[in-house]
Amino acid sequence: MSPTVSASGLSLQYGATRALDNVSLRLSPGVTGLLGPNGAGKTTLLRVLATAVPADRGAFTVLGHDPSGARGRQEVRRRLGYLPQTPGFHPDFTAFEFVDYVAILKELTDRPARHREVRRVLDEVGLADVRGKRIRKLSGGMRQRVALAAALAGDPAFLVLDEPTVGLDPEQRMRFRELIATAGEGRTVLLSTHQTEDVAMLCHRVVVLAGGTVRFDGTPAELTARAAGRVWSSEGRDPGALAGWRTGLGTFRNVGDPPPGADLLEPTLEDGYLLTLDGAAAEVTA
Amino acid sequence: MTGTRAAGNTPVREAARRGALLQLVRPVARTVPWWALAAGGGLGLLAAALPRLSGGEVAPWAGVNALRAAALCFALGAAFLLDDPARQTTAAVPVRRVLRHALRCALVLPPAAAWWSAAVLLVPEEARPPVGDITLEAATALALALAGAAFAVRRRGAERPGQAVAAFLLVTAVLAPLLSPSEWALFTAPGDPRWADAHGHWTLLLGAALVAVAVCCVEPVRRRTLRTLRSPSRT
Repeated sequence: MSPTVSASGLSLQYGATRALDNVSLRLSPGVTGLLGPNGAGKTTLLRVLATAVPADRGAFTVLGHDPSGARGRQEVRRRLGYLPQTPGFHPDFTAFEFVDYVAILKELTDRPARHREVRRVLDEVGLADVRGKRIRKLSGGMRQRVALAAALAGDPAFLVLDEPTVGLDPEQRMRFRELIATAGEGRTVLLSTHQTEDVAMLCHRVVVLAGGTVRFDGTPAELTARAAGRVWSSEGRDPGALAGWRTGLGTFRNVGDPPPGADLLEPTLEDGYLLTLDGAAAEVTA
Repeated sequence: MTGTRAAGNTPVREAARRGALLQLVRPVARTVPWWALAAGGGLGLLAAALPRLSGGEVAPWAGVNALRAAALCFALGAAFLLDDPARQTTAAVPVRRVLRHALRCALVLPPAAAWWSAAVLLVPEEARPPVGDITLEAATALALALAGAAFAVRRRGAERPGQAVAAFLLVTAVLAPLLSPSEWALFTAPGDPRWADAHGHWTLLLGAALVAVAVCCVEPVRRRTLRTLRSPSRT
């Protein structure tokens, strides 16, 4: 199957900061997780792929369309939905009016069909009951769902979601995970997140970004496997560990190179992620 | 894709674009920060009416300065015209930014023209400067405000550039008469021999501001930095 998105050598620099450095990846239908610490370049990569900001170097295509020209960018935008990290709204609009406004901006010009589409996406995100309510009166989680509905309007083939679960309570996060899993059926979703649980539960593939470069690109199982034999339990914090923290049981869970005879534990995706980050992981010690 | 979106050939796309633009009028009109324009316009009308309210004979310099103050007040309000809290949410939609900005400007232009006519009429006839020339000054102030806002949007993707642009415009308006060289005097009084030259300069300034607005409203497809200019090849 040909990839929905194919990017090679994407680089972008803000002043002295290299936000992206020669990033290449290919995305196919399903949910791909993008993990990385703060400042890793996740949001920049998403903004580049969403055509919100152009890269300094490199190229990418979405469904064969090259956004390096104005016409190609239009074609890409006709096929994508973008949920930014901090979505903004016109607070006096109702949820319906706002999604309808975005749908017009997506060139859905047949009014009855567009209104049906707006009702469909609001239903899909579970906001059918509050679609007539002004956005200023909605909770943070509901606003996030309005933004997701706006991204879903027009049934885009490529969906770019920048930390959609941040700031949500566990119940809302679970609801959002369901929505993203549904959205990933038949379309390509790129999901940026800090939550390794999100990736473990939703993604068929994970990309780890750090310092603007791709550190890992594979399946969640492969990322978890990186930590096999490198997670152990000890009574006190092991000074040789890359990262270690006290668990609820009172013992320490250590990640790194275990001493001989260590009590090895089953690794998680988060362990693999910490080891992939390598030096950055050392800052995570508790 | 759902069948609601026009797909395929160019004529259909053109129709879709026109249709989108027409249907955008109402929602975009709701997103225009009318409060800022009303505040600027209200203050401007007050400034224009001051010479008449003060009573007695009004000197020509008082009339021209009242209208300049009025134009500045309105321009300060217009600096908020491109404020859009939903900018990030709508950062990657097919309807181009230049069209959205043009629509905002088009919506504001008729009330702005009516407001300016009222401001000019508030100044007593004997103190009223040549209407074409003072309108040129007002249009330049408005264009500079829009250029500043459009620049902030293009450069930083600012959601609400209005406050910073208005502050910059105010400081510039205060400093410009003090710092501009005498051969480039912009703020002359009617009857001053430099009046015609000054309005030649205003015309240049207006042209430059409009070019800046046009350039800044277009979304760049590639970044132009010193580094990329030195090494323009893109892999």
